[in-house]
Amino acid sequence: MTKTSATIPIQENDAVYYAGQMKLALAAGQSKVTFNPGDGGPLNTVLISNYNSALVAVTDTANFDIHILANQTALPTLANKVAADKFYVEDSTNNTVNFLANGVAGAGEFIFLQLTERAVENNWGSYSYLSLDDIINNFLMAYIGDDKILQKVKRTDVLFHARRAMQELSYDILPSAKSIESTIPITLTVPLPIDYVNYVRLSWADAQGVLRTIYPLNGLSGNPTELPIDDGKGVPTQSSFGNNLEAAQSIIESRWEKTNQSNISGSSQSNDSNGIYDEVWWKQAYGQRYGLQPELAQSNGYFSVNQRLGSFSFSSNLSQKVIMINYISDGLAVDLDSLVPKMIEEAMYAKILSSIAYLSRNVDGNSKALFKRDAYAKTRNAKIRLSNLKLDEIVQVFRGQSKWIKS
Amino acid sequence: MNVNTVYQTVLSILNKEQRGYLTPFEFNTIASQVQLEIFEKYFEDLNMQLRIPQNDSEYVDRVKTIEEKIDKFRTSKDITVALVNGFGTFDFSALSPSVHRFGSVDFTDRTLLPVTIEKVTSHELMLARRSQFTTPTSKFPQCSIEGTTIKILPAIPTSAVVGITKSYTLEYIKKPDAPVWGFTIGSLGQYIYATGASTNFEISDLDQSELILRILAYAGLVVRDPEITQSAAGAAAMIDQSQQQ
Repeated sequence: MTKTSATIPIQENDAVYYAGQMKLALAAGQSKVTFNPGDGGPLNTVLISNYNSALVAVTDTANFDIHILANQTALPTLANKVAADKFYVEDSTNNTVNFLANGVAGAGEFIFLQLTERAVENNWGSYSYLSLDDIINNFLMAYIGDDKILQKVKRTDVLFHARRAMQELSYDILPSAKSIESTIPITLTVPLPIDYVNYVRLSWADAQGVLRTIYPLNGLSGNPTELPIDDGKGVPTQSSFGNNLEAAQSIIESRWEKTNQSNISGSSQSNDSNGIYDEVWWKQAYGQRYGLQPELAQSNGYFSVNQRLGSFSFSSNLSQKVIMINYISDGLAVDLDSLVPKMIEEAMYAKILSSIAYLSRNVDGNSKALFKRDAYAKTRNAKIRLSNLKLDEIVQVFRGQSKWIKS
Repeated sequence: MNVNTVYQTVLSILNKEQRGYLTPFEFNTIASQVQLEIFEKYFEDLNMQLRIPQNDSEYVDRVKTIEEKIDKFRTSKDITVALVNGFGTFDFSALSPSVHRFGSVDFTDRTLLPVTIEKVTSHELMLARRSQFTTPTSKFPQCSIEGTTIKILPAIPTSAVVGITKSYTLEYIKKPDAPVWGFTIGSLGQYIYATGASTNFEISDLDQSELILRILAYAGLVVRDPEITQSAAGAAAMIDQSQQQ
């Protein structure tokens, strides 16, 4: 998912935003088109073509097609669609597309750009974000200068604190927009996502698509980070190069993988061959399950973050299950194009100001304290805003107040 | 500011009581020296005024007035940055007009808005590039200066290739041209002012009084009349004082 951020004021028209379509007139002999002629432009999406300037395939993530239309009223069809290996993005900054390989334009022709469905979807909602780049430029312009509290600050410092603010707010404030769907293989491990910082929730989807929370091991079992092979006396053995010999697989993990989860959760097995859990026996065994730990009395399985493998490890009952991993990143995985929800824009400024002022010798203690309180208050406001509390929704939840809960 | 006006004023004050004569050569030398003194004082004055709360009036905002005086010397030149030892480099020693005070370098990537390259010391540049958060990028580039060479990171050479143009512009303050009272020799051996051979003062005409007084102070030394030096220096100091209060 590569979300986009819209320009202020909005430059995309309805056709570009809703349908991902753009049509430009071509001059006779023209062989390239710039869709974003200025800084920003009428297209938020950065165009990606499958082929490079040498018309060699370099990716399969192209996000647009082009058609050459005979006139303004002609419709885009398969017949006038330009083959993917006949054009390429010459300049991604300005979205310049070169279609010379398809031939130069004739008089009165038009070029029709159609973004892929995925690209259009990534652009929907783009007005609710702005880039970290914009935050830094705005801060430099509005918060630093003569007659201001911060008269002179190195831009490098602003860069550093802006990125740190982005990280901190990502951990505490920003909604977990990151989630991936995966199927647990028989090896019971799934690699950590590329921009993973911490998990929010792991869940498996049942046949109805309802998500069921998978719980962390919390010490029930473990994933050792080192697997030295010892000499039988507890002393690790070394290779001829002086390095500790490492086992290929953890014994603890192997045993955990084979564990019957019912033995831990205490769930009944009505088809037990001995019949000890069937209803007849059950009635005679009141009190037998006394002492069960409610924390472990669940059948949704367990996961752990296996630092040695850089993966999530799952319990055996989750093999082949479809899971969803909700996690947080730090918002910096895509450099300065990282997107910041506008709801936290003010909190970002306050946090950068507070951090820079805190380290400045030229700012008095009272001001530092003021900025710190200001940043705290604005961060709290941002959290409330992003909590997305809506009156109607709260009222709906409160309707449950009159429902009797059986005990 | 017309050099002849200044010269004639200086001469008329000097000759009032037959104190002596200031030759064009002497005048040109002193005028050049005094112009530089006043020019350099602009920057010190601006620095001082920036620490004082200003007003928002049209004509008596001192910061604005001094900046307008400096504006005349602001210069920008497109420069060609080459790739040398992993840095984008440019030697500004041969620029014309020559660089008196280094301002900034702006980098323009294709048709994006230009970004000012942050000027730091070589040490700070090395520190910044080691941090993943602050390493120079094309959106936030940095430079340091060694001698008369600008070293820029990231190392992106100037490019005129259509579609991927990269250009740099150096903003700086040039040195004022030395004033010259040019002349021809008349039939009686007298000096006759020649406009074409002259160079006017470049500093603001708001400083005419101070300029004349300072020239007079030096002229007093030339004609060995301490009274002129003392009174002119005193008057110039009063102007200075009134401008800084």
